[in-house]
Amino acid sequence: MNSNDITHTLSTYVTTQILKQPKRILKGDEPLISSGLIDSFHLVDLGLFIEDKFGVRIEDSELNADTFDTLDQLVVLIQSRQ
Amino acid sequence: MIVSVFAMLPTAAPIASHRFAALLHVVHVAAALLSSVRHAALFVTSVLAVYLLQPATPIAHLDFWLPSASLLLVVVVWCATQPLRLEAMRETLVTAGLIAGLVLGIGALGITTQLCCVVTRMPPPNILVVAAAVAGGVLTCILVVIVFAGHPARTTWLVFALIALLVAVKLNWPISGADAPQAETASPAPPPTFATIQWLGFSYIAFRLIHALRERALGKLPVMSLREFMTYVVFFPAIIAGPIDRVERFLKDLRAPFIFNMSDLVEGGRRLLIGVFKKFVIADALAIIALNDALAVQTQPGLWAWVLLYAYAFRIFFDFSGYTDMAIGLGRLFGIKLPENFNRPYLKPNLTQFWNSWHMTLAQWFRTYYFNPLTRALRMRNIAPPLIIFVTQTTTMLLIGLWHGLTWNFALWGVWHALGLFMHSRWSEFARARFGAQDASKLQWVTHLGGVVLTFHFVAFGWVWFALSNVETSLTFFRRLFGMP
Repeated sequence: MNSNDITHTLSTYVTTQILKQPKRILKGDEPLISSGLIDSFHLVDLGLFIEDKFGVRIEDSELNADTFDTLDQLVVLIQSRQ
Repeated sequence: MIVSVFAMLPTAAPIASHRFAALLHVVHVAAALLSSVRHAALFVTSVLAVYLLQPATPIAHLDFWLPSASLLLVVVVWCATQPLRLEAMRETLVTAGLIAGLVLGIGALGITTQLCCVVTRMPPPNILVVAAAVAGGVLTCILVVIVFAGHPARTTWLVFALIALLVAVKLNWPISGADAPQAETASPAPPPTFATIQWLGFSYIAFRLIHALRERALGKLPVMSLREFMTYVVFFPAIIAGPIDRVERFLKDLRAPFIFNMSDLVEGGRRLLIGVFKKFVIADALAIIALNDALAVQTQPGLWAWVLLYAYAFRIFFDFSGYTDMAIGLGRLFGIKLPENFNRPYLKPNLTQFWNSWHMTLAQWFRTYYFNPLTRALRMRNIAPPLIIFVTQTTTMLLIGLWHGLTWNFALWGVWHALGLFMHSRWSEFARARFGAQDASKLQWVTHLGGVVLTFHFVAFGWVWFALSNVETSLTFFRRLFGMP
């Protein structure tokens, strides 16, 4: 899976499952955690989705804006562990 | 690095390049020496600070035993979490000897009347008792190495032991007159009073130790020396009020070559001065009119009650964030970039963002070791998400409240925020499904401002539980806020 596919998969999950706004378009550099768009509960859900979909583990200590805050940063993190 | 610099030099200047290499070598040696001196200075200062900053206690010699117990706990956790490395044995023995020497040295100050209270508030206990305690500490550490070597799962025992100790420290204990040092007078002992044990920085020390133990159990704890671990746990700028750094991040700075540079000096000095101003000028001035038990019952219903509340809200922010600024500034002067703890919390438009910007390192600690694992575990079962959010947020906030002290008011403060977070989460879910982000763009600044005002007042009302010592006084003050006697 290339970075565009990963971005698309993540973006679709966030807009439909977390934000419940399927028509919304997320920019790659849009802050997700520091802006409050994704709260702590949905952050764990996102971590579980990534584990399930990409086979990549994101530790509990990494579920924060310091590790990743945007879709672009999350894609880099996933690719670095695949 | 030297080789790459050589490659850039013109070949027609061999003598100059030779001198340049020699100069670089001197710089390297000086930097290594400076780093070594810096680390040694941080280690010794931090260990001494554990004693120097410990407040006086009503029980004799406790102001010596509590800091000593802090050091023993750090060594015990290090022994339980680090692999046995024969190549590092010499360094470990030197560090352990230095710690034991410092404890014995402070204990020995009790022999002289002039120097007995240079480090501790009260004269230390008898030096023979201190020597016996140090020997007991050494035996404990040997036992820990035997029991824990190669068994990372056993570190969970120590996590529970530390939690039990934390609970015990935060309980109200009866202190009889017989325990007090002045009990040697002929007057009869006064009736027992109740108080918590004032153990300097133990809440933060315990959380750093639990962090190390959990990371060891997960196989993520880096290998480090006893000196590095001790410096991390009792790092003197952060021992009183945090922040709670992560050990691998702290080690990165501690191990980096230390070179004085102007930007660190200027930024560190700037943060230190800002912290001093916030804490000792703004917060201490606001303290005069900030809400407390006495003012809460004396004040008349109406405007003055609101002044007390606002003064407390800003006082606690400037006091706590001032301490953090001082810690970050001091750390920066020594080349350690401690994590931020506050990010304009009173300007956030909702409670979720408030908790992403208030005491950030404590909130992140609870998310990492409690909220996230619990949410993960409950998500694996067929439980409705709103119920999971309610359970995880309520218990997390309740624990954060009780971390400040085991009282009904701290518990209510935690539950107050848990309910606020739950209501905000439900509202977000409802609003997102009905109003798109773009739909609200015209009114965005109005809703943002309204959110800031609403969030600030929700937090401020929460401080009533936090600032006052009992439920009855808190309810009385709430009535006075709204004009009732």
